Amino acid sequence: MSDKKKSLTVFKTDRHEDIAAIIASAIIVAIVLIYMAFVVPSVNLNAQQDGKLTEVFVAEGATVKKGDKLYSLEVVKKKWKDNVMEEKHVIQEFTAKANGKVLKIAGKIGDKVKKDKGLIIQLSHQRGTLP
Amino acid sequence: MEDKNIFGKLLAIVPGLAIMVGTLFVLRVYVEPWMSQVTLFGYKGWLVKVMSLNYIVMSILLGMFYRNVLFGGKIPGWAEDGFRTTRLFIKIGVIMLGSLYTFDKLLKVGGVAITLIVAFVFGTAIFILWLGKRLNADRSVSSVMAAACGVCGVSASVATAPGVRAKPVDLALCIATILGFGIASMFVSPYIGKLLNMSDYQFGAWVGTGILNSGQVLATCLAFNPIFAPGTAVAYGEIWNVVRVISIPFVVFFITAWYWKNEAAVERVSLSSIIASKFPIFVIGFVGMTALSSLHILGAEGSETLRVIREVMAWVFGVGLVGLGAYIDVREIKAAGGTPLKIGLIAGLLKYLLALIIILAFIPKEGAF
Repeated sequence: MSDKKKSLTVFKTDRHEDIAAIIASAIIVAIVLIYMAFVVPSVNLNAQQDGKLTEVFVAEGATVKKGDKLYSLEVVKKKWKDNVMEEKHVIQEFTAKANGKVLKIAGKIGDKVKKDKGLIIQLSHQRGTLP
Repeated sequence: MEDKNIFGKLLAIVPGLAIMVGTLFVLRVYVEPWMSQVTLFGYKGWLVKVMSLNYIVMSILLGMFYRNVLFGGKIPGWAEDGFRTTRLFIKIGVIMLGSLYTFDKLLKVGGVAITLIVAFVFGTAIFILWLGKRLNADRSVSSVMAAACGVCGVSASVATAPGVRAKPVDLALCIATILGFGIASMFVSPYIGKLLNMSDYQFGAWVGTGILNSGQVLATCLAFNPIFAPGTAVAYGEIWNVVRVISIPFVVFFITAWYWKNEAAVERVSLSSIIASKFPIFVIGFVGMTALSSLHILGAEGSETLRVIREVMAWVFGVGLVGLGAYIDVREIKAAGGTPLKIGLIAGLLKYLLALIIILAFIPKEGAF
């Protein structure tokens, strides 16, 4: 069996593999950033946690700035405190991550939402920013 | 085969890689969602939630099935090059994990991680060198085992072997022992963690300290909690993992220096030359990614951009973990035996249990970030 066949890498050496990993991860991240900033025209904001929609702070067609409040959810927040898991119902507000415009509001106050499922707001963002 | 041009080499990767990607696709898109809906013993999603049979664990199991059952113990030549991209995918995933942190978060737990890793890495190495002497093991066997159990499984033992003139058979026995131990701990640890009601912080710290291989640390953390986000088991475990990987050249030097003490006729090398040749430079990529995250270049926490980056990361890791499973050769593990097995099991178990006790006693459940 040749050394190449015994090797755990397709590269000449582990060092080459390390460099390839750095380059590949840089390319992957760059592609995602360019795609999100310049190609994707709008994003669908689904619930980031399981919960209940308690308030929508914007109206369809409204312009929003980065940091503006979009909606709030009543969620169960779990946190370790003094080695005991505490569960609290809290209202959590979610904000715009980039300047943009509200295209659609699909969530209704009182809706029960599941994490990553069910559209709440559709938002277009300013070209070149990361939504 | 050896004279292929770049296109030939890329083409040779395709079949094996297609199996890895295809396997992950089926598991993530069809199998895991189906299993999450299946009710067993009156509990919806019992297989995923109680048995921790998420796509990560299934990826590894299926990889093992391919090699040991479907391929009869050896990855066939047509798929070999594709499967040899496994470590590349795991390294890309590790670098991308840097996006989960900012430097202030790393500083919060970095001190604890460095203290624990340095104590356990060098403590284990010293213990094995002592235990090897007690068991009258060959000094080169003790040296390779110290590197293997102390710091980073296969990488460290292979790196140490030439300096301590270990025989190939001893190296193979050491690797078989630590692989067997690593695989057992990879499947058992998530259940122990849940049984002991460990938090993500405690579990990541324990697994990062007690398990010996980067891929296995990540797989174990993701089996415990499959979410890629700050504050999860994989986010904490990776900090420990990176500190441990960085310590490889220092441990290799420490062990070879110990070996040289009673050996006149060996070629001695300096710490700087070991660092130059053995330092895992992909860690620089991890730090670079953390720098981008600290400068908020990757998008704000909670943004769609970060969600997409983490989704891509999950796919990259998943592909690597199918390959990790395919590199588990049951026959190699069965070959473990003799003094390396005794030393490896005693030291490995001691490290694993001691790390668990220390984590439970001194590390709070509440995470640092």
